[in-house]
This record gives sequence, C-alpha cells and structure tokens, in this order.
Amino acid sequence: MKPIILQGHERSLTQIVFNSEGDLLFSASKDSVVNAWFTSNGERLGTFGGIKGDGGHNGTVWTVAVDSQTRFLITGAADNTMKLWEIATGKCLFTWDFLTAVKRVAWNEEDDTILSITEQRSGQPSIIRIYKINRDEPTMQTTTPITTMTLSGSKATVALWTPLSEYILTGHESGKVAKYDVKSGEEVNYVDDAHKGEITDIQSSPDGTYFITSSKDKTARIFDSETLEEMKVFPTETPLNSACIAPLRPYIILGGGQDAMSVTTTSQRAGKFESRFWHKLFEEEVGRVKGHFGPINTLAVHPQGKAYASGAEDGFVRVHWFDESYFRSRPFGDLEPEVEV
Amino acid sequence: MAAVRSNTNWAEDDIEADELPQTTETTDANGITTIISWKLDEQDRKVKVTRRIRRRVQTQVVSHSVAERKGWAKFGLDSGKPSGPDRKTTIIGENLHFRIAPVSKAEPEVVDPAAAKPTAGKAVVCRLCQGGHFTAKCPYKDQLAVIDNMNTEGMDEEEDAGGVGGLAPKGAGGAGGKYVPPGQRAGGGAGESMFRSRDDLPTLRITSLSVDADEDDVRDLFAKFGRIARVSVVRDRETRESKGLAFVSFEERKNAEEAIKVMNGRGYDSLILNVAWSQPRGDRP
Repeated sequence: MKPIILQGHERSLTQIVFNSEGDLLFSASKDSVVNAWFTSNGERLGTFGGIKGDGGHNGTVWTVAVDSQTRFLITGAADNTMKLWEIATGKCLFTWDFLTAVKRVAWNEEDDTILSITEQRSGQPSIIRIYKINRDEPTMQTTTPITTMTLSGSKATVALWTPLSEYILTGHESGKVAKYDVKSGEEVNYVDDAHKGEITDIQSSPDGTYFITSSKDKTARIFDSETLEEMKVFPTETPLNSACIAPLRPYIILGGGQDAMSVTTTSQRAGKFESRFWHKLFEEEVGRVKGHFGPINTLAVHPQGKAYASGAEDGFVRVHWFDESYFRSRPFGDLEPEVEV
Repeated sequence: MAAVRSNTNWAEDDIEADELPQTTETTDANGITTIISWKLDEQDRKVKVTRRIRRRVQTQVVSHSVAERKGWAKFGLDSGKPSGPDRKTTIIGENLHFRIAPVSKAEPEVVDPAAAKPTAGKAVVCRLCQGGHFTAKCPYKDQLAVIDNMNTEGMDEEEDAGGVGGLAPKGAGGAGGKYVPPGQRAGGGAGESMFRSRDDLPTLRITSLSVDADEDDVRDLFAKFGRIARVSVVRDRETRESKGLAFVSFEERKNAEEAIKVMNGRGYDSLILNVAWSQPRGDRP
C-alpha cells in the first residue's frame, strides 16, 4: 500500500471529507484554505479561498461538508462565518454571519437543508441552526434558520443527520450523545454518560442505522441511531480525535494521539500517531498504519470502502488505497464469513 | 562545438546558461520514454535531469459524473496549472506494509522507563522452586539446592564433550585462561552469524525456461521438493521480459539435490529444463 501524501496546507488539518463517489476529497485546515483533491492520483483540483479578494475564509476552517451531487460545499470557520461554495469553479456563493465560530456543518440526505453548530463563547450559548438551501439560485439564500436549538447544558461539538433527515444526532463536550427533532427542535432522546470525555467526531455507518463516536476518553463507541443504545466499545491507549466505519469490510478506523501541546515532548513511537483498524464486531484491534508525524485529527473513508484518508496535526493528508489483501482478509479465520468483493 | 565555444567569452557564456534547453521526450521501441529536462541548481549550474519512465495505460470504468469532474478546470491557487499532479503538493509515499491480522496484546510495548520499574519489582522468581520470592528465602532451599547443583554440573560436562563454543566461558578459553575469540576456539567453527548469507542457501540455476513463466510459476514447479527460500527470474532491465533464466534457493540441501534429479531434463512449456547448481559469481568460468 503506497499512500498519496497531500501537502496543501500550512497548518494542521481540521476535517476531511470524501464526496459520494469518492473521486474527490475536501480538506479543511487551520490555515483558512479549503482544498479539493482528486483521490485517484492526488492532483489538486483547486482551493476555496487562498487568493485575496475571492471571498475566502479569514481564520481556521473548522468544518467542511459536501452535498451528495458534488455541486455545493459548505464550510464553517473561526471568522464567525459559514460559506456556500460552487465546487466546479471554487466561487463563494453566499456567506452567513454569526456571533461565534462555526464548529460543524452537515448536509441532509435530500441536499436541501444544512445544519450548523456555533461555538459557545463570550456569553453566547452553543446554537444549532437548520437552514433551507436554495439550490436553484444559490446566491440567494435566506439567513433565517427554519429551526433554532439553543443548548442550555454542555455545548455540542459534532452532529450528524439521521436517515430520512427527520432527526439530528449530536455529540457534546460533556460526553453526552443526544437526538433532536429537526422540525420542533426538541431533544427526543439522550444518553448523558455515553462518553467520559469530550466527543471529537461522529460518523455514520453506510446505511445510517448506527453511528460511531470518538472521544478524548480514549474510547470509540458504536450506537444505534434509533434508540441511542450502545452497541460496541473500542478502548484504546490514546485520546481519539476521529473514527469512521469502513463500508464493505467489518472494520472501523480510529485516529488520535495526545494533545498537540504535549506532542513535542513525546517520541513518535510512544505518540501512537497511527491509524488503527479495529474489527467492528469482535472489538479487537486488527492493524495499524503509520506515517504521520503528529496526532491524527480527522479520518474519512471512501464511500465504496476502497480507500481511506487521514489528516493530521502535521499538516499532511495521506490517502491510502487498500491492497487486494485487505479485501480478502479474514483475521479471525473461519469465524467470519467469506466475502465476495 | 569546441570551435563555437572558443569564440564566445565567459560573460556571454554565463548569459547563455540562463537559457535552459527545452525538455525533450523520446520514446524508444521498447515503449520506454526518456525525458531530458534541465534545471539550475543552487549555484546556478546547469543540471541535466534524465528520467526514464514506462507509461502504462490503466483503464478504469467510472460514472459519468466522475468523468465530467475529471475535466474540470483548476481553480483558486491552482487556476491555470496543467493537468496532472503537481509535485509541490502531491507526493507518493513509500510502500507501507499493511496486513489485517489480530494485533497480539502481548506485544512488547515501548521502552518506557517509568513502566519498566514496577514489572522489575514483580519479577522476583526463586531459582530453586520458581516461586515468587528471593532464592535465599526459599523454604525448600536445603533439599532443592543439592539437586540443582548436580544438574548444572551434568550439563557442563555435556557441553564440553560436544564442543559447543561461544556459550560457556569455562573451558572455551585457551591455555592459561587467555581470551580466545569464539571463531578461533576448538570446535567453535566459524561461529554463528546473525544473518545467513545468500550464498549459504543451496541455489539452483534453471535455464531454458519458458519466457512466460514468472516467479509464482517457478515456485509452484519446485515447491513440491521442499521449502523454498527465494525465487528470482532474471528479467530485462527495461522491458521486464523474462530472459528464460531463474534461480531457486531451497532451505535444505537435500531438497535441492532431489530437485536437480527430478527436474533436470524435464519438459516444461515445450522446452526442456536445464537444472544445475548455481555457481557463486567468483567460481564461474
């Protein structure tokens, strides 16, 4: 397996996402530029922002989300704005202004609604807003959200739409996992002690019926999307920053490492800056991929399960296309059914 | 050329150096493309960069939307750049060995001085009864110590008789207790090396092999005689075509002998195999 190393950022990565066909990868970082890459050869298609006067972000880009048709991109940044971009040209189409930074954005399944989470800071509470997106005239967007959820307790750090876009699932700083009704804005279900530390990432399974969360408490957990019942636990030795579920094969990928501030005082070997593969069902570790010089901040898996990418504190994105041996692997032998690929 | 050189003075020569020759691309009959490009190094000297590559077209079936996106013009910081990966932003990393297999929990962990201490404290084992206490405090000290001494003495005798060098300092040294390197001790032989040299393995040379046979075919052909350490098929450096010559290294000499007996003169893919011992480079006529 030869990784493709993408060096288009000057600062650490915050989030990377594949588009629905897996041919493009979008990477957001603390250097205020969002990059688009062809995953097959690592060629950079372009940058969103980066040139003066083109309407780019002016601070850390915390989050990026791509719609299922690869037409529009939503980004949220520390300059208190959220932006809509046209992917084919890299033009900024619309900007929403807020009072605090935008920490997470996500498209719903129908590509017509987005969610945004704003940071809790300087007296402002953490707010989840739901916006309708005008796809026909993308430069004419409304700044009035259809639903506003003001969170009184612990702030939300990550969020995800459920299938059919009826609910959103959130992960909170306290370790709480909650489920909100999009129409009414009511909290319909929650698990207070889902994790013992801040939830750093939330990613859905291919069919959306369950989801994985990673946390600073060194564990990743799989929950049922309907009932929020905990299904699996994956305990590791380092705080986790990201987790994703690989389609096609029964594995999950975890990434983490100790905090950025303590990186320089630990050796690379002890730092565990590796992507770790765990068996989803047996809850056993089955492999590691090394390569980064800093903790992995974000992981994304190809929607068809052919590759995965990791973005780290060192500013690099590494795209790994799986070998044939990965698809044939059955680490627990006869316990596992043979899978035709 | 030399005449032209003598006519220009050094100042003009310097100016000329800035104009680098065009990058040339030539493709030879074997399909190898030679790209000659020029660049200036840090001291402004002309450097000729010759790259020899083989282009292979790989066809991939993709959906229409993916094919359409492949044709998009670059934008942002990359606008106007030619298609293809830019070496400034994209590099191919070195091959990683990645295999899905259960990671054993007993894997020796990182050398961590803080973590090593408590285990060292725990690892008190009695030499006599293997219990969790110091040998001096062993309750069976009187009975077991005698048996233990007898055992070790017996072992020492055996070792001396067998002439195993290197391990036992006793008896291994020369007269007068002077240090003798393990390699020169009586019965020590050449000593054991950490790595087995390539030439140590019994290697066969297979000639008049079909050019269609690759490493796996040769391995299949010889696997029935015993464990094979290495198979290599000699190939053309550029075209990667087999030259009809292969080397097979067995782990056991008797397996290799058996293979010569059976395979030499056998037909394989309409050619008669010629199997013989491979001679080291120096001994060849």
